[in-house]
Amino acid sequence: MVSTDPLVWIAAFYTIAATSYAFRDNTIFKFSENTFIGAAAGHLIVMGVKNVRDFGWAHIMKGEMIYWVVFVLGIMLYFRFHRKYYWLYRYPIAFLVGNGIGISIRAAIHSDFIVQIAATAGPLTAATTFDTFNNIILFIGVLTALSHFIFTFEGMHRGTLGWAPKIGRWMILLALGASFGNTVMTRFGQYSGRILYLVRDWLGVVA
Amino acid sequence: MSAWEKLTALPREVVLGLVLIAMIIPVIRPLGLPLMVGTMAKDWYDTVDALPEGSIVLFDIGFGAGGYPTLGPATIASFHQFFEKNLKIIIMATQVAGSMMYPLIMDAVNPETIYGAVYGEDYVFIGYIAGTQTAMAGVLGDLYAIVSVDYKGTPIAQIPLLKDVKGADDFTLVAYITTSGDIAEGWVYQAYSAYGKDLIGGMLSMMTTTMKPYYDTGQLLGLLDGVKGASDMEFLTGHPGDAIRSSDVLSFSQTLVLIFIVIGNISYFGARAARKEEF
Amino acid sequence: MDYRRDIPLAITFLVGVIAVMDYYTTLKSVTDTFTVIKNWGVVLYAFALGIGAVNLFRVHGRRISERRRADWPFSAWLLLMIVMFVVVGLGTGQFETSSQYEWIYNAIYLPIDSTMYASLCFYMSYGAYKILRARNFDAFLLFITAIFVILGNTPLFPATFPVFFHIREWIFGPIVGGAYRGIRIGIGIGAVVLGIRTLVGLETGYLGRR
Repeated sequence: MVSTDPLVWIAAFYTIAATSYAFRDNTIFKFSENTFIGAAAGHLIVMGVKNVRDFGWAHIMKGEMIYWVVFVLGIMLYFRFHRKYYWLYRYPIAFLVGNGIGISIRAAIHSDFIVQIAATAGPLTAATTFDTFNNIILFIGVLTALSHFIFTFEGMHRGTLGWAPKIGRWMILLALGASFGNTVMTRFGQYSGRILYLVRDWLGVVA
Repeated sequence: MSAWEKLTALPREVVLGLVLIAMIIPVIRPLGLPLMVGTMAKDWYDTVDALPEGSIVLFDIGFGAGGYPTLGPATIASFHQFFEKNLKIIIMATQVAGSMMYPLIMDAVNPETIYGAVYGEDYVFIGYIAGTQTAMAGVLGDLYAIVSVDYKGTPIAQIPLLKDVKGADDFTLVAYITTSGDIAEGWVYQAYSAYGKDLIGGMLSMMTTTMKPYYDTGQLLGLLDGVKGASDMEFLTGHPGDAIRSSDVLSFSQTLVLIFIVIGNISYFGARAARKEEF
Repeated sequence: MDYRRDIPLAITFLVGVIAVMDYYTTLKSVTDTFTVIKNWGVVLYAFALGIGAVNLFRVHGRRISERRRADWPFSAWLLLMIVMFVVVGLGTGQFETSSQYEWIYNAIYLPIDSTMYASLCFYMSYGAYKILRARNFDAFLLFITAIFVILGNTPLFPATFPVFFHIREWIFGPIVGGAYRGIRIGIGIGAVVLGIRTLVGLETGYLGRR
């Protein structure tokens, strides 16, 4: 049975409005697009205020007055829009950039570099011939894909040595094809959820 | 226009209309095809299954409405497994809309009614924490230093589950499901590399290829890849839901896409051969 | 010393170095300082969430006041949406946990967000129909794995011929695993080098205009 819940009807309207762009640009889509941007920005403000209260103001209430410095830095972020004092926003941005970079590179060296190389440097022979074959392909794939991105050594992409980046390009293309196949599944899987909503929750055609 | 070129001249509205019909039909008439469970989802299931009862899991809802159609069912199935195994779950959100997904997920799982779980004793939601990796490092480093209240404003010192939880050492497993590459990589960097925790991750299928190296090297002990992983989890946990229903939609729609790809290539090579003959 | 550039660069360096030192040392002073930095960072990130909205008010506010563009009513609607969500979210004092906020979020934001993301499936279908051709060897390589992965992902085919499932699993094994591991190592090197360059002040793009 068709739903009588106004929430479901509004959601169904916006689902159809957002889908309509795939067929043709139209006013209904523009309306839903602007609704979305406004709603997203509003939600960010709500969550931002809540986080400032729970993680900033809560510390001040506990007596940690140093957090007033954080509040001042936070307000300085908005000087980005000031014509004359825009440079004030560099101080909090510098803090955020330093924080973000320090936190990520300290572990990236381990996760993206050491662990990956250690795993590749293991023995190629395995219990079965098929697994040994797979290990060899993986090993060749890693080395050739890496060599494809070496541009500082002139001779890398020429002559006999040039075969390594060429095979690397082939391996990357094979992997990108797999990525494309998965992307197709992602999009259809996402939209199937909306189809279920329209057919089941809105129109009540199925249970 | 030659006959070959006409093959690829179908109007856009016709192509998209056919795709839409191919997606609606299986919802009305499900096929009920058997599922073959992938290795990555099986590893996620087995990792959680091996946890002793009462283990504390830190779970990150790293997706918003954009990912809910596929990752929502994956999260629901995962929570069913957590509650069935009597695990304690500390839930957080590193995605700004993640805290809006929490009530939707909990309404679907219904832990109080189905499992007799009690909020504050068996599970707790500490809400959205801004900063992505900063939030992750903060929670794993010293929970009480960064978080003072749960998402409803209750001081965490009053929450029984969080009384003795200080940081990474108290978590047996860290799990996340996300649409963001930053969050997916961030948890590997912080939970695995920086704090040495066991980690399982769920994400959209199109992120699987970039995250696969972490799974292959054991940094991720299990991986749920989008709607495939979600349907695998629903099957393994015995809680069929929207992901398994979506599988039928995939059968029809992706078959249609394959047909279009084949038609496009036949017309391309046919037209090329016809041009060669002309000359 | 230029206090507008040098002090921010010094802040970036100090904060970044403390974060890195926390990973490589067990000094309590470093751990405690890093805990403070993390807490400050969370609050600053929360403050930063509102920057987008401020920019939207500037841009769309100008469009409304000038009324030169034909679609200026949409700008008014956009700003109204921001105000509505903020008023409902902050008005009850319960933020996103209030039933009213959940209602407007689930009615308005959730369907649009999930549909916008998902409706790309239509573009992919049409794009695959028009453009995905095995024109040359390189394109054929991309084409062949895409086809086998789509066949493996479509439940109808593995249910009928299980070999498609195993081919997909094999593609994701050595092929994807090998190539993307190489890419991942490259990303890691690049990220670390860029990070170090930023910390020592060689990359200053984040400071904006001079």
